[in-house]
Amino acid sequence: MKIIVAIKQVPVRDSSLHIDSSGHWIDEDDLSYEINEPDAYALEEALQLKEKHGGEVVALLAGPERGSQTIREALAKGADRAIHIECDDLASLDTLGIASRLAAAIKDEKPDLILTGLQSDDLGLGQTGVVLAELLGIPHATIIMQVEAGEGSIKVKRELEDGWFQHVEMPLPALLTIQSGISKLRYATLMGIKKAKTKEVRRISAGDLPPAAAATVTLERVYLPEKKKETQLIEGSPKEAAAKLVEKLKFEVRVI
Amino acid sequence: MNPATPAHVLVMTLHYAEPPSFSMVEMVLLAICIALSAVAFFRRFSRVLRNIFTARKDPGFHLAPIGKRVWDFFWELLCQAKVIRERPLPGLAHAFVFWGFLAFALVSLNHFAAGFRLGVLDADNWVGVFYFWFAAVFALLVAVSIAGLFVRRFFVRPIWLGRKVSYESGVIAFLIFALMVTYLAAFFVPSTSTMARGLWWAHALCILAFLPLIPHTKHLHLVLSPITIFLSRGEFSHIPPLNGDEDFGLVTGKDVTQLVALQAYSCVECGRCTEHCPAANTGKILNPKEIILGVRNYLNDLGPHSEEPLLGKYNSQEAAFQCTTCGACEFQCPVGIEHLPVIIGLRRGAVNTGAWEDDHGTKLFLALERNGNALGMSATERDKFIKKQELPIFDGSQEYCLWLGCMGAYDPQGREIIASFAKVMDYLGTSYGVLKKEKCTGDPVRRLGNDLVFQQLAEQNLEIMKQQKVTKIVTICPHCVRTIAKDWKDYGASPEVEHHSEFMARYQDKLPKTDGPEIVYHDPCYLGRYRGSYDQPREVLARSGKVIDPPRARERSFCCGAGGGLAFLGEETGERVSHVRAKELAATGASVVAAACPFCNTMFRDALAATSDAPPQLLDIAQITAQTIAAQPVATASATPSNGAQNA
Amino acid sequence: MSGVLVVLEHRGGAYNRMSWEALAAGQQIAAASGQPLSVAVVGSDLEGLSGELASKKLDKGYRVEHALLKNYTADGYVSALEQLIKKLEPGYVVFPHTYQVRDFAPRLATRFGQVLLADLVGLRKDGDTFVFVRQLFQGKLNADYRHTGSGPCFVSVQAGAFRAESLEAGNTTVETFAPQIEANAIRNKPDEPFREAAQTVDLSAAPIIVSVGRGIKEQDNLPMMEELAAALGGELAASRPICDNGWLPMERQVGSSGQTVSPKLYLAVGISGAIQHLVGMKGSKTVVAINKDENAPIFEVADYGIVGDLFEVVPALTEAVKKAKGA
Repeated sequence: MKIIVAIKQVPVRDSSLHIDSSGHWIDEDDLSYEINEPDAYALEEALQLKEKHGGEVVALLAGPERGSQTIREALAKGADRAIHIECDDLASLDTLGIASRLAAAIKDEKPDLILTGLQSDDLGLGQTGVVLAELLGIPHATIIMQVEAGEGSIKVKRELEDGWFQHVEMPLPALLTIQSGISKLRYATLMGIKKAKTKEVRRISAGDLPPAAAATVTLERVYLPEKKKETQLIEGSPKEAAAKLVEKLKFEVRVI
Repeated sequence: MNPATPAHVLVMTLHYAEPPSFSMVEMVLLAICIALSAVAFFRRFSRVLRNIFTARKDPGFHLAPIGKRVWDFFWELLCQAKVIRERPLPGLAHAFVFWGFLAFALVSLNHFAAGFRLGVLDADNWVGVFYFWFAAVFALLVAVSIAGLFVRRFFVRPIWLGRKVSYESGVIAFLIFALMVTYLAAFFVPSTSTMARGLWWAHALCILAFLPLIPHTKHLHLVLSPITIFLSRGEFSHIPPLNGDEDFGLVTGKDVTQLVALQAYSCVECGRCTEHCPAANTGKILNPKEIILGVRNYLNDLGPHSEEPLLGKYNSQEAAFQCTTCGACEFQCPVGIEHLPVIIGLRRGAVNTGAWEDDHGTKLFLALERNGNALGMSATERDKFIKKQELPIFDGSQEYCLWLGCMGAYDPQGREIIASFAKVMDYLGTSYGVLKKEKCTGDPVRRLGNDLVFQQLAEQNLEIMKQQKVTKIVTICPHCVRTIAKDWKDYGASPEVEHHSEFMARYQDKLPKTDGPEIVYHDPCYLGRYRGSYDQPREVLARSGKVIDPPRARERSFCCGAGGGLAFLGEETGERVSHVRAKELAATGASVVAAACPFCNTMFRDALAATSDAPPQLLDIAQITAQTIAAQPVATASATPSNGAQNA
Repeated sequence: MSGVLVVLEHRGGAYNRMSWEALAAGQQIAAASGQPLSVAVVGSDLEGLSGELASKKLDKGYRVEHALLKNYTADGYVSALEQLIKKLEPGYVVFPHTYQVRDFAPRLATRFGQVLLADLVGLRKDGDTFVFVRQLFQGKLNADYRHTGSGPCFVSVQAGAFRAESLEAGNTTVETFAPQIEANAIRNKPDEPFREAAQTVDLSAAPIIVSVGRGIKEQDNLPMMEELAAALGGELAASRPICDNGWLPMERQVGSSGQTVSPKLYLAVGISGAIQHLVGMKGSKTVVAINKDENAPIFEVADYGIVGDLFEVVPALTEAVKKAKGA
């Protein structure tokens, strides 16, 4: 099977975030980057499918030059080759714009399957995969836990809310967004990194692709939410404290 | 010599009876026997030599400094120091056998030479008399020793020698005994008698039977161990650099190096390594002896060019990952085998190629890649701690950089140790600061064999050192000390580094002294065996109480179980190493257990509580020292003359 | 192009709570912009759901019905709603941010050259338009978005962001809308939803975890914790010493040598907060700690804490939770 995995490079989880001077975005100076975690699971799923059914895994990433580090890691883990859409203007595009770029870059690839994580750790919109499927005119399914490949079709297990699941049969080609934590991620090995040096990375400049339509939504500003993560100690007798805690659980945490 | 003295009489009466002459037939027979024995010896020996010499060269090996090699050769080999010290009675017996072999060298050569009428020693002249008597004394010692060792192996049966009875050892013991008996008996027969001739032939045949057995058995150590001891890697637990893009560690026979092969063939199967191994002692399948013998069997069956994996039929991956890298095995080995580079080499082969699939290991690697610390915590937590503790930030003007390490920065207990040590340094007036950014030194991945992550961490840290102009580091964790001092060298020059016990020991006269309770001190593996710092922590503790040792102390200290990256892996099988050690420490009756490593501290915290109803108090030496300082009536830095502050 | 269209979701013959929250959001937009508010529900044979729709204060209700919409498929729902939106031309389309919506709404938005502003936690009128608030970086930052496209504005709202209690009652006409859908346009073939068989403990999937540590002192005190967990609808977990003693199975252990969990609520009872435990639960969205030692490290990572005797606090808490849920 030929599988394309769309991966995104995001700031490392738990990074200390500071708003930049314009208030539009975060200060990127001191940040380290890594592969978006759900995309890591999508890559793992692709690699496991390749190990089972043979074929090729192609990593696809749109982003600035620093994205090549994440591409290298994907190749080190076992992807066969990669496509890097080099662009610095992702912040000015909306999901539709980014997905159009991805679609244009792979227009001649004709994959059997496209996998991507269900959402990104930074923006968390969770749509690029679905939009890409619509642009390519292929069926899709989201929040996938398992993939079984057949002849020209696949059977997937979709996660629903509250512990429910559903199997869906789909024709190929198709696109899936993969749930986090469904398998054990492999680690990039020294051997993998050395092999990665010889694998093909096709670099496409955003200028070579059709220009994206104007963004339909704009991110105006980012700011810290009012609630700071300070420990609120709840005072009073056990009964009083319990009652106050339940109040908080109901209305602030919203788990009751 | 006075002809009438009893000694003279004895000497003159008991005379080594060498047959005066041998017939042509005998000489031919002798020549044939020697030839057969030599051929049998060389056929096997040359195979062993070929396996060793055609193996890959060891990258980064150099003979210099030669002084230590010469000293080890003299002390460990000729004087049999470690052999005797670590197992006194059997060790002494072995020493006698060894010295006996040396003493017999000339005598044995002469024995065969005489068979062709080319003997150099004349039993009738002074030199001969002296030599034969000299050898006779040793013959007695050897005979008694070998008989004792035989009894030990076949009747006492210590389990470290192996569960199966070793028939080859019995045969060898018999031959040695026979050699000594035939030699000694020759003093009691006339040289012209048939008996003398018979004894001579028996003695000769015993030697000729012994010779080919050498390369076929563990007695190869007779020939190899002097070389093995001389050609050590030069440093305890020395992990060799990887050589080029195709080198991932010990994956297949092709990766076995000359030193590894030489050491594998030198194994005496004495089991001293296994006897002191914390894993082997707690029901794990890891057995350091079997790891080395596994390599030897691989080389015997497949040779050093095979592409068959080393971890598979000959050694198990599971065993290799049960090692805490405590080094007891390598430390104990009397023939110079270095187990740690082999075990870590096998781990490298598994991890660098992705053959090791372990959830916890993968989680550790990801945590280090992503967050730069082994615990996967956000670096902001470290920042918060530094702020809360009001630790000064290193800006290049201070003398010392206080390295927090992962435990010191994120573990609540480790933080207590840092806080206490900071108080001690403040008391001593030391100028120090902590770095704004620290990444894990990489110790866990270095010992687990992940060179990719280790290289990243080492290089990133060395860059920080350079940028921040760090020249001296002091830290609370022996693992950090080792990794900074030695392992980072593969990627650049690292600053001087000291453990806080070594630091405090240098200033011990300035630390207040008080009478205190009994304190039992646990030697951390990475401070003791790895670094040889046994006295400094004790000296520091002596300022606060009465220091006592547990039964297994100093170089025989029993690991806490956290090393080798195991603190970050999953559940142990068998009994918990930490529980075994905790019981031993608590059984001393001391009211305080002193630790010098935050990992030992974490392991014993749970273990002491789990194994004892009223466990002793567990404190780091910094905490004990800080308490002693705080208990002083006027405990301020300016009150101590050491700062040069003059009273008005 | 005007009006607010809210798309409700139903399962097993009833609307889910998030749908009413989405309606509350829709009402807010409609009121602030002075526009009519309609509601749509998609499926086949929606007679039973019609009544409840009719009793809410809306301008119009739509039953989008077709046999091929009986079981949810993205192709079916996208096609059906595309046709409805083309007919109604609303300025805003509001969804609850459910798994189902995440599956089809982005595709639907693309049909109109728009994107979905997903998982809103708030919105406010600012001048002529609205500012929509989302969370970034897993809740670490908030972001203000504005819709600048020329098509309908598609939004979905996060669970609990809007209060379903604030809906007013009224009388609404409900119309049936029958979209054109071809069978071969529906490419996915879904099976019936199912629950997993034998429930082995999967702490990583539990949204609420009640975790117990050494402070519980004895195994006989566990039932009290089980009651609290049951009352909250959560799973019971423990720190290592409890599992070591065999009081709870190893699979319930949270920590460096056990499970790593990131539930919505992690309640640490009688747990001191050693690093080996913290690394297993630091990803939890909200941490509540109950411990009698005010210096216990667990309070460093807790959002809410009660310094007290757990043997008194836990029963009181269980009661309070039951009361709140029963209400």
